Amino acid sequence: MASNENTPTPEEEFQALQMYLNEFNQQIELFSRQFQMIEQARMEMITSVETLKGLKGTTDAVSLLPVGGGAAILAKVIDADSVIVSIGADVSVKKTNDEAVSFMGERITEMEAQGKRLAETVQKLQAQAAEVSGRLEQLYRAGQGQPTGRS
Amino acid sequence: MENPNIPPKVQQQIAQLQQMQQQMQTILQQKSQYEMTVREAKRAEEELKETKEDAEVFMSIGSVMVQQTKEYVEKSLADKIDTLELRIKSLEKQEKAIATRFEQLQQQVRSSLEGRMPEAA
Repeated sequence: MASNENTPTPEEEFQALQMYLNEFNQQIELFSRQFQMIEQARMEMITSVETLKGLKGTTDAVSLLPVGGGAAILAKVIDADSVIVSIGADVSVKKTNDEAVSFMGERITEMEAQGKRLAETVQKLQAQAAEVSGRLEQLYRAGQGQPTGRS
Repeated sequence: MENPNIPPKVQQQIAQLQQMQQQMQTILQQKSQYEMTVREAKRAEEELKETKEDAEVFMSIGSVMVQQTKEYVEKSLADKIDTLELRIKSLEKQEKAIATRFEQLQQQVRSSLEGRMPEAA
């Protein structure tokens, strides 16, 4: 009578797969967001490195200091060789321009690796989600084409 | 979402299970946040070790940065790491306790439902 007690019915399988698909999509969204954040931070750091390199060796360089609201004031960089760099955990250290550039360069490399790992994870998850999607479609088609009785 | 086929006691247990799942999620989120902060603090500690003894070190207090001695910053980072690691351990204990309780309750619900299944079909 209950020979297929442990075998899920197509409806149960459909529901389970739908749940997996939702979970995969949530994870994809989460990792994609993380990837975007890292990319943004990396791009920002690249710009900072370029700025530091550009300022190196200059004396009294006049620059625009943003004060918010799209406004900026003229300011002179009094020491382009002293850079206060954040090292995380609310701690910052004064470094020379070269030291700061090298420190940030290392961080950029790390972020690149992290971004790569995240992109790979997203790809894997997308492949798994596609697989589940395919199976769901199969079940859906089978359900639609199935006659009421069995031949 | 109430199912008339499920006895009230089991329904209550299912609600409890859902609550536990939420608790577990909150704990896990908190734990991963603390773990991230510890990793960041340890990194800062390492970075600080590599700087010269007379290096100018600053700490953010709100929106201002205050200059501190390297020694002071190292100590406060170590304290921060210790405190967070303690909190992580406590969260791990809570996590284990909830997981055990969850499994027990899940088992109870399963056996209650299995006992009723034949007529329900």
